[in-house]
Amino acid sequence: MRITWRRAELAMLLPLLLLVPLGFVLTHVAEAGKLEPGPLGLALGYLAIMAGAHLVLTLSGHRGDQLLLPVVATIGGVGLVMLNRLPQDLAGTSAFGLQLGMAATQLLWFGVGVVAMLAVAVGFRDDGLLRHYKYTWAALGAALLLATFVFGKEVFGARLWIDLGPVQFQPGEFIKIVLVVFIAGYLAENRALLTGASARIGPISIPPLPYLLPMLAIFVMVMLMVVVLKDLGTALLFFGIFLTMLFVATGRRSYVLIGLILFVAGSFVAYQLFGHVRARVDVWLNPFADPSGAGYQTVHALYAFGRGGLFGEGLGQGLLPSVGGSFPAVQTDFIFAATAEELGLVGAFGLLALALLLVFRGLRIAMLAHDDFSAMLAVGLTTSLGLQTLIIVAGNAKLIPLTGVTFPFVSYGGSSLLASFLVIGLLLSISHRAARVAEPGAP
Amino acid sequence: MIATNVRRLALYLLLSFALVSAGLAYWQVVDAQALASRPDNPQLVAARRSAPRGSIFDARGKLLASTEVVNGVAQRTYADSAFSHVIGYASLRFGTTALERAWDDLLAGRADPNPLRDIVSDILDRPPAPKDLILTVDQRLQDFAAQRLGNRVGAVVALDPRTGAILAMTSTPTFDASALTGDSAASARAMERITAAKDDPLVDRTRQGRYPPGSTMKVFTAAAALDAGAITPSTTFKGQPRQETEGFVVEGFRITEHDLSPVQPALWQLSEALQVSSNIYFAHVGLELGADAFLDYAHRFGFCVGRRIGPPDHALTVDASYVTDAADGDCSQFSDRVEVASAAFGQAQVIATPVQMALIAATIANDGTMPDPYVVADARTHAADPAAGPSDEVLQRYASGGGTRVVSSQTAAQVRKVMVDAVEGQLGRLYAGQGDVSLYGVGDVQTAGKTGTAQRGAGQAPHSWFIGFAPAEPGGAPKIAVAVIVEGGGSGAGLAAPIGGQVMAEWLRLEGK
Repeated sequence: MRITWRRAELAMLLPLLLLVPLGFVLTHVAEAGKLEPGPLGLALGYLAIMAGAHLVLTLSGHRGDQLLLPVVATIGGVGLVMLNRLPQDLAGTSAFGLQLGMAATQLLWFGVGVVAMLAVAVGFRDDGLLRHYKYTWAALGAALLLATFVFGKEVFGARLWIDLGPVQFQPGEFIKIVLVVFIAGYLAENRALLTGASARIGPISIPPLPYLLPMLAIFVMVMLMVVVLKDLGTALLFFGIFLTMLFVATGRRSYVLIGLILFVAGSFVAYQLFGHVRARVDVWLNPFADPSGAGYQTVHALYAFGRGGLFGEGLGQGLLPSVGGSFPAVQTDFIFAATAEELGLVGAFGLLALALLLVFRGLRIAMLAHDDFSAMLAVGLTTSLGLQTLIIVAGNAKLIPLTGVTFPFVSYGGSSLLASFLVIGLLLSISHRAARVAEPGAP
Repeated sequence: MIATNVRRLALYLLLSFALVSAGLAYWQVVDAQALASRPDNPQLVAARRSAPRGSIFDARGKLLASTEVVNGVAQRTYADSAFSHVIGYASLRFGTTALERAWDDLLAGRADPNPLRDIVSDILDRPPAPKDLILTVDQRLQDFAAQRLGNRVGAVVALDPRTGAILAMTSTPTFDASALTGDSAASARAMERITAAKDDPLVDRTRQGRYPPGSTMKVFTAAAALDAGAITPSTTFKGQPRQETEGFVVEGFRITEHDLSPVQPALWQLSEALQVSSNIYFAHVGLELGADAFLDYAHRFGFCVGRRIGPPDHALTVDASYVTDAADGDCSQFSDRVEVASAAFGQAQVIATPVQMALIAATIANDGTMPDPYVVADARTHAADPAAGPSDEVLQRYASGGGTRVVSSQTAAQVRKVMVDAVEGQLGRLYAGQGDVSLYGVGDVQTAGKTGTAQRGAGQAPHSWFIGFAPAEPGGAPKIAVAVIVEGGGSGAGLAAPIGGQVMAEWLRLEGK
């Protein structure tokens, strides 16, 4: 194993040395009015985790993309600063007899996530495990989904959680990855046979059966999620991922269009039939009709954006977290609104720019990938992060109905962090293999 | 192939991010100002929580409402619950009501009575400077009226008929407005207690209480008919006195006299008819006047439209009083002659607020000109130590205009005379014998008045009304006009009239006559 210096990665990580501790210090000064060393421990822990990741990648001779880690670490750093600024009793764990606050728990999950990322990035020498067992993965995903249907626990009106005694997790986050693996495998396998083939009914070109069937299957699954799990956000995300991957595999916008029409029609039927869907949409259309009831969260998120303005109210100075005593879901669904209030439009654009950069790097990895499966996998994984970010941000800003998906690397939550880091790990491993294949004289 | 599609995907995603960014820019920059000014925005709430607010004093500079900022939290305190309805409250949780609402911009310091100073403050970006308000209400009279009402449900309105200055305006039961101004949870609990209490303590009966005025309406009917020339003070109706025993049939509907047992049926003129409060006499008067003229005078006297107390941009609103079905909204027509005849003695669909009835009395007292009522005398610079009294620097006086002529001076004099008779005449004393007349005549001066007993549904005690003014010597200028209602208080002579008489006597005593 030959050490490759990852200079770009290191250079991009360096600003964090200043950014993260400064964020912690500023929020603490805003809160306590004086400087204390206490919260710096978390900042140092976070920096250590990211430095460790860089070190492992370097020492293992990893050739993967050097921008992924710094971008993720910056987004995550902003998120951790925000979580540290919120009331620490919103969430947390007791581990090893220690009562950990929310930010400390999140830091713990950062550690777990980064280890998982490294394991995948470094340990995954061969993607056969993913490629050849795609139906096994599909079965696993279906089983997880089924488990959620049966054992799911309802929180905030959506059945997202599975309770395993001491551990609770959101299967949706992992089903997402499994779904991408399956679709990538399926499309890569059938692509060669089917490129160009399509049936026509009059002027409309209909996807051939091998595309149409999975599209219908996934559509049915997604609609079931809307109806049974009441999880509109994840349903939208899954269907969006599938349509995007279908588009990339076939290059046909009409398929996407058909899928969208299907989705809109399905949503319309769901709106007519199901109260929870109707409630969501009505609140979205006019949250000010009931600003202290159904529209409460949406209205106050908008107020937070407005207060933030161009440059923000400053770290620790935002009002959203304390609206009504404690604003519901501010650490998860509304972390972006809270951040935009304190960092302003400038900060919000910064976060979005970082997310977009991550998406571009992911797509670049797809373009450089050494085979169709890897390319499709990279596209799907990247899309999952990008769409999820778009869905939650647009939901916060009342551009689409609000749904309960997380902001990757920012929202509080172990499942979300772990899954997001697994995605980065897979992208790194794809990128690494492509670099090795491209290298002259490589085995 | 895939690479091309990925490039296109990158473009679409870029566009999506751009769209979302544009949405964010809309909320954070374009619409930010509009969002910031919505009343439930915590930004405003937080600003209000720590904002100073002007004090409110009574006519003699007694402190009624003040705000103290302790540790950045503003606490508004109200000194006298007899004022809870007219001043209202400024609550973080429940917003503002009554004068606190009508004068919010001055009290909060967002506006200055002088628009020029407003512009200067704006340019210099000065912090808001709260203004203090001086009321026309005298706390001594207000408390006296509230005490007389005691634990009965009712209202007293007293004003100076010459100027329209409100002297007392109180409603019972009342509530502790200070309890609604503190932190959110505590004020929510207080509000729960207040709304759970019986008889709706939050309702300001002076402005929002609408009752059939009963016989007090006869003052209006007499004034309108005399002014229109439909009757003279010596008009008699030849069907009487027979109708007083048998009833007066209008279009098949039999109008009967209420209990006139102390007096014998007779052929009465206006004065005697008002003294004994004959329904049939005034039913005749109403029909002589006719529906159109009746409605015309009703509008002149301010029925049928909501009223304002104070200048238009700081108006304390008074619910509209009606002479026809309130649901019609504009008193456009009576349904038949029976309704006209019944409205003439204050039944049918007539409903009136105590403020409205006090203004009718004040109009007669003020030679036929209805004064413009007002309750804030002036605005002053904020007194740093409100307990030590208001500052001397008056920014703006709010004395009302000259009022509106409603009936001729001659008509007013004629009505004044018969109203004096109703209190002090032989028949009036005899008729009102169940309540000792000396209780509601004001000693040493002539008193004009009219009682009312507003019938309600079967089995419910009638509302007790009184309107009047004093001193009522011919040609003199009365100093106070009142309207009193006691809900379910029985006959007007029994409860409302003595309270009205005592309030007027107290004011003349306080004023040294």
